[in-house]
Amino acid sequence: MNKRVEPVYLEDKLQEIRADGHLKYRSKSLPTWCPGCGYFSMADGLTVALNRLGLDNRNVVTVSGIGCASRFPFFVNTYGFHTLHGRVLPVATGIKIGNDALTVIAVGGDGDAFAIGGGHIPHAARRNVDMTYLVFDNGIYGLTKGQTSPTSALGFKTSSTPYENGDAPLNPMMMLLSYGASWVGQAYAGKPHHLTDMITAAIAHKGFSFLRILSPCVTFDKTDNTYKNLSMMVRDLPDGHDGTDMMAAMALAMQDGHPALGVFFQAERPTLAEVMQTSIDRAQQASAT
Amino acid sequence: MNKSGTDIQFAICGSAGDGTIASGDIVKRAAAAVGFHVIAFDVYPPEIRGFGKCISRIRVSAEQAYSLKEKTDVFISLNDSHAIPHVGEVRDFGAVIYDDRSIAPIREGAHITAHIRPAQIPYGLPIRQISEQATNAARSRNIVVLGYMAGLLKLPSRPFREVIAAKFATKPQAVIDANIRAFDAGLEAGRKVFRLDDVDVGTVPDHGGSEAVMMTGNGAIVRGFLEAGIQSYFGYPITPATSIMERLAVEMPKQGGKFLQTEDEISAIAATIGAGFAGSRAATATSGPGLALMTEMLGLGVMAEVPSVVVVSQRGGPSTGLPTKTEQSDLNLAVFGGSGDAQRIVIAPTNVEGCYRCAGMAFEIAETYQTPVIVLIDLYLSNRYETVFPSHENTFAPKPRKVPELAEGEPYKRFAFTESHISPRALPGDAGMVHTVTGLEHNELGRPGDGDHMRMNAKRHEKLISATRYPGLTVAKRFGDAGKVDVGILGWGSTFGEILEAMFEAQDAGISCSAMKAVMLSPLPVDELRAFFDDCRTVLVPELNYEGQFANLVSGALGRPVVRLNRTVATPMPVADILAEVKRLAAEADSPERIPATAGVGS
Repeated sequence: MNKRVEPVYLEDKLQEIRADGHLKYRSKSLPTWCPGCGYFSMADGLTVALNRLGLDNRNVVTVSGIGCASRFPFFVNTYGFHTLHGRVLPVATGIKIGNDALTVIAVGGDGDAFAIGGGHIPHAARRNVDMTYLVFDNGIYGLTKGQTSPTSALGFKTSSTPYENGDAPLNPMMMLLSYGASWVGQAYAGKPHHLTDMITAAIAHKGFSFLRILSPCVTFDKTDNTYKNLSMMVRDLPDGHDGTDMMAAMALAMQDGHPALGVFFQAERPTLAEVMQTSIDRAQQASAT
Repeated sequence: MNKSGTDIQFAICGSAGDGTIASGDIVKRAAAAVGFHVIAFDVYPPEIRGFGKCISRIRVSAEQAYSLKEKTDVFISLNDSHAIPHVGEVRDFGAVIYDDRSIAPIREGAHITAHIRPAQIPYGLPIRQISEQATNAARSRNIVVLGYMAGLLKLPSRPFREVIAAKFATKPQAVIDANIRAFDAGLEAGRKVFRLDDVDVGTVPDHGGSEAVMMTGNGAIVRGFLEAGIQSYFGYPITPATSIMERLAVEMPKQGGKFLQTEDEISAIAATIGAGFAGSRAATATSGPGLALMTEMLGLGVMAEVPSVVVVSQRGGPSTGLPTKTEQSDLNLAVFGGSGDAQRIVIAPTNVEGCYRCAGMAFEIAETYQTPVIVLIDLYLSNRYETVFPSHENTFAPKPRKVPELAEGEPYKRFAFTESHISPRALPGDAGMVHTVTGLEHNELGRPGDGDHMRMNAKRHEKLISATRYPGLTVAKRFGDAGKVDVGILGWGSTFGEILEAMFEAQDAGISCSAMKAVMLSPLPVDELRAFFDDCRTVLVPELNYEGQFANLVSGALGRPVVRLNRTVATPMPVADILAEVKRLAAEADSPERIPATAGVGS
C-alpha cells in the first residue's frame, strides 16, 4: 500500500468542508470526548448523513441515555433529549408516537444499550418503531472510568474485573437479528467514510434500524479494542452477501472474532405508526357502523 | 348523608364464579336507571377462579351518599360459607336471603340459619331449584335472587328486565330469555311471601332533567382523559389501574389517539415523557409498585421540565402487597419519590366526579407548569361506582398553543428565568428554537453545568406555587360547621366520603364539627389548611396507612399538631371508627386536659 498521497492544504480542506454544508448540523458546544476518541467520527458521520439526506434540523430529534456516547445530542444542532441511563429507546418511542413527522435518532453506548437498557431493545425492534439506533460499542464503561461492559471480552482486566473478566460477552448482532430488527448493520469508527454511508442508510430505512459502531476507548482500554486491534480484526462483507437472507445474516453475526462491516440484514414490514393507524381505522369504522 | 328518604344498602355475597359481582352490577344499574343515587363497591379475590370470596355492596339513596353504610338492609347469600362471617352486618329487621334446600348434608352450625340473629329476618327459598326449573341450569341462581328481592320489596321489575337484557345483549337471544325467566321465577316466589315493609324504597328524586351516568373512578378518569383530547397513552397492566388502560385501548383510536402497551412501567413513563416532549397530550396509569419503578423518570420530567400525566391507583403494600384491597400508603412515594429535590404536582380526588375533573384538567396543569402531574387515587375509588349527574360543559379541550417569540438574533433559552419561573416552551418542529433538554443540571440554554443549580432548583419549586390557585380546580374545601369548631376532620382521597358521613353523624350528636378535604397534596394549599387549623380546637386525620403519611406531611408543613387515626384493614375506613374518635376528642375538648400531639398511632 505504498500509494503516493497527494498533499492536502489545510485552507483548501476547510474551504471544502464549509462548502459542503454539514457544519450547520454541528452545535456550538464542543464535544467533551477524549482526544482520539472514536466517537468523533460518529459525530461527523451523523452531521454529514443529515446533510446528505437534506433533513431540516428542526424536524430531527437525537435522543440518548447516559454515558460518553450519550453526550452526543449536545454536539449536534438538532432537537435533543438527554435522558436516563438505559432509557433511550422508550423515550425515543414516545417522541416518535408523539409526533410522527420527526426523524428520531437514538444514540448510546454498549453499557447503556445492552446492560441497563437491554430489556427495551427487543420491544423497540419487534414493534418496528421507525427510528435509528446508533450504538457506539467500545466494550467498556468510559464515563465511570473504566469498568467491564456486557461486550467486554473474556479475560479483559478492568477496575471492576481486576482478576480478569469471566462473564461471556453478548453478541449484539445476533441479538438484534433475533429480536426482529428490520435493519441491522455494523460499522467501525476507524473507517469514517463507510461509517457515514452506513448512518445515512440506517436513517433512510423505514422502520427500526440498528447500527453497531465498533470503537476504541483510547483512555481506559490500552489492550483490547484499540485502533490497531480493531483495524486488524474487521472485515468487509463477504462478496454476494444477501441482505434479505436471515440465515446468512446470522452466520455472519456468529463470526464475532472478525466483525464484518456492512448491512447484515434488512427487511420491509409495517412500522409501529402504520400498525397504530390500522387500529385507528378499524376503531373508527366500527364506531361508524 | 344527612337527609331522610330512600337509603337502602344491598349486599350480595358468593364465591368467585357464582356471578356475585354481575348480580350486584344489575342492581346498581337498575337503581341508577330509575334515577336513584348509587354508590357501590365490590370486594373480590386476586385469583380469577378458585373459591375466593366476592361481595358486592350497593347503597341506593334519594340524596347523595358519600360512603357505604356500616349496616346492610338486604343481604343475599349465594355461598353460605363465605356469607356467614358477614351476616352480622345486616341491621335489625333487615333481610337475609339464602338457599334453604341444601344439596348435600351439612354439619351443625354450617348453615347460615344458625347465624342469623333473632332480630334479623330470614328469607329462605330454594334458589338452586327455582333456577333449575326456570332455566334447566343452576347458573342463574344470581338472577333468581334478584327477582326474589324485587318481589319482596315490591320493586318495579321493568328496570331489572331492561338491565338484564342490556347486560347480555351480545349473547344469543336464548341466554337473555333464560335470564329473564330466572328473574320472573324469583319474582313470583318473592311476591308470595310477606313484604319486607321495613325497607322503604320511597320516591325517586328529581334531578331537573339531567340524566344519571353511573361510573367507577377509573371510568371517570377515562372520560376525563378522552374529553381532554388525550393523544398518546402508554401503560402496563397492574391492578387496580388496568381497567383505565383497557377502556382507553377501545376508546382512544376512535378519536385518533395512539395507544401502546409497553414492556414495563419504566417504559410507560419514559414514553409518556417522550411524547410530552414532542408536544403530545400523553398519560400513563399504574399502582404503587409501578410508581416505584417510575420515580427515576419522574425526576427526569421535573428536571427537563416536560409535561406528563400519571394516574396512580394505590393498593395495599409494601411490595406486591394486597393487590385487590384498598390502602392510602403511596402518598410519600407520589409526593417525594425519586432522587433529589423533585417537586411535582399531586392531586387526589375524593370521589368519582372528582376523578373525572382531575383527569380532565391534569393535562392543562402539566402543560402550564411543564412538569409531571400525578392523579393519586386508590382501589376503593378506582372500582367504586357512583352516579354522576353531569351538568357542566367540556372545558378540558386543549387551548391553542403559544409558540415562543424571539427577537432577531436572540438565542432561544429553553429554561429562561422569568417572573413566573415558567419558561416559554418550544416544541420539536419549531424553527429557530432548536434545543436539547437533559436530566443533568443545566443553564438557561439547557447546556449542562452546575453554576445555576441554586437558581434552577428555586425555579422548579417556585413555578409550582401558583398551582394552588389554579382556576377551576378545587385544591381544598371545607364542609360542615363554619367558624370555630371543637373537632376538625382533615382527609384526602377516597376516605373523605367516610369522613363526611362521620361528620354528619357527629353533628347530629350535637358535636361542633367540620371537615376539610385536601385535593392538592403537592404543593400543599397551606393557606386553606392553616385557616382550617386556626378554626379547629383539634384536627383529626383519618388515613388508610400505618403511620399517617398525610398527617406527617401536613403537620410538618404547618408545624401544627394533629391527632392521627390510622387503619390498615384492607377495607375502606369504618365510619364508626372515625365517629368514635370524633366523640372522644369532643369530650376531651370539654375537659381541661390537653390531648397529646401525636395520640393514636395505630390505635
